Amino acid sequence: MAEVTARRVWTGRLRYAVIALAILFFQLLPLQTLPRNWGAPDILLLVTLAFAARRPDHVPALLVAAAMLLSDMLLQRPPGLWTGLVLILTELLRSRARSMRSLPFPLEWGFVAIGIGAITLANRAILAILLVPVAPMGLTLTQLAITIVAYPIVVALAHFALRVNRPAQGAVDEFGHRL
Amino acid sequence: MARDRNAQDDFISPVRRLLIGLLVLCMFGLFVVWRIDSPRVERIRAAIIDAVVPNFDWAMAPVTGVVNLVSDFRSYQRIYEQNLELRRELQIMKAWREAAMRLDQENAKLRDLNNLALDPQLTYVTGVVLADSGSPFRQSVLLNVGARDGVLDGWPTMDGMGLVGRIAGVGGDTSRVMLVTDTSSRIPVILEGSGQRAILAGDNTINPPLDFIEVPDRVKLADRIVTSGDGGVFPGGLLVGHVVEDSNGRLRARLAADLGRLEFLRVLRSQAIERISDPGTLLAPLQMPDFAAPPDDETAAGEDPADATAGATDG
Repeated sequence: MAEVTARRVWTGRLRYAVIALAILFFQLLPLQTLPRNWGAPDILLLVTLAFAARRPDHVPALLVAAAMLLSDMLLQRPPGLWTGLVLILTELLRSRARSMRSLPFPLEWGFVAIGIGAITLANRAILAILLVPVAPMGLTLTQLAITIVAYPIVVALAHFALRVNRPAQGAVDEFGHRL
Repeated sequence: MARDRNAQDDFISPVRRLLIGLLVLCMFGLFVVWRIDSPRVERIRAAIIDAVVPNFDWAMAPVTGVVNLVSDFRSYQRIYEQNLELRRELQIMKAWREAAMRLDQENAKLRDLNNLALDPQLTYVTGVVLADSGSPFRQSVLLNVGARDGVLDGWPTMDGMGLVGRIAGVGGDTSRVMLVTDTSSRIPVILEGSGQRAILAGDNTINPPLDFIEVPDRVKLADRIVTSGDGGVFPGGLLVGHVVEDSNGRLRARLAADLGRLEFLRVLRSQAIERISDPGTLLAPLQMPDFAAPPDDETAAGEDPADATAGATDG
């Protein structure tokens, strides 16, 4: 039983890594070279947060850091800043994961929405303070709104297609501790 | 029950929290280093992209092809009208081609008569677009040519028709082209027609605005925009597009390049522009050669203190 659980955790981690790479792959496809006036949702962030809120043991901090740093590098963002902010948010979600298990979904959504809004604005504020050129405000806000709206869709996909669901109330880990 | 779990947490969590804090600090530290010493971190970024993206290449080309095929499929429905349209356009173009060839010959003859020296032709290396920037905030594409093909930072990049962008970041096998629509792209241009200089400043829209025009009233719409070569970064005379006006009356550039379909790009080998930095030495040389200043010539030494000291040590 213990081995089965441990194996499940490691498959979960592998699965997160594969999903992250696949998302980056599809974002990099040279399909969209015209500038748009709306921002597509940040799917990688949503997947990371959905995992952190529902299956925190499948997204260890190092894995999140590696995935986000790779995306920072590949997507031409200032390296490290967004990674750090996302790490802070996933750690917050991880520490609330046990109490959030019994919450209805809209509250979880609200918490995640506030978190995404906070790190997006913090990212923008820090970039502005350090005089790094930032994207137009409208683009950031539309991306923020679309990202928040897309969270339930990502969670539904994760829940029904990948079975990323919250542990049941009485579930135990490999050492018999309650999750 | 819950108490047990918390008790166990109490001696793991402080260490864990410390390590997580360190990790976050490392990330912010990396960001600060990037802000202070950007070129070095950008080189690391180019190396990472160089290592990662070509590995995706085998999958990227077919997936992109399939997606484009599906989006093209809609246009097959009106293929007959398209064919007629193209034939009509071809007729008009043939007439233009004749005119262009006649003018070309005339031009060559006139140049010959004037004994005019032209700029050497630019040579180019052609690359395939591997990937785009992947984010709506950055307008750039990745090419499959890099330092191995001799590509250097700052070289202009064109598609068949017009300027697309410039090289910003070179890896071993890949290089990044910052498109003229990117918010950090600034290109000195000249508006033919009125001959005024301007800066083409990307702002994440498809038609970048023209900044710093001296007399905007003298600009006529549909004037051609070409690069001016000011600043010594870009070669001059590359076609950028035409002047258009947006609904706010601001002058913008309609790009000649088709940014919606970037597949093959030409990277122009731009020769370093020679600068004439020394003033003319014909009338008044700044430094007198040593042999020209005899040590006993008091009036010459009085005029120039540097020569006076030189004369003193010589004497």
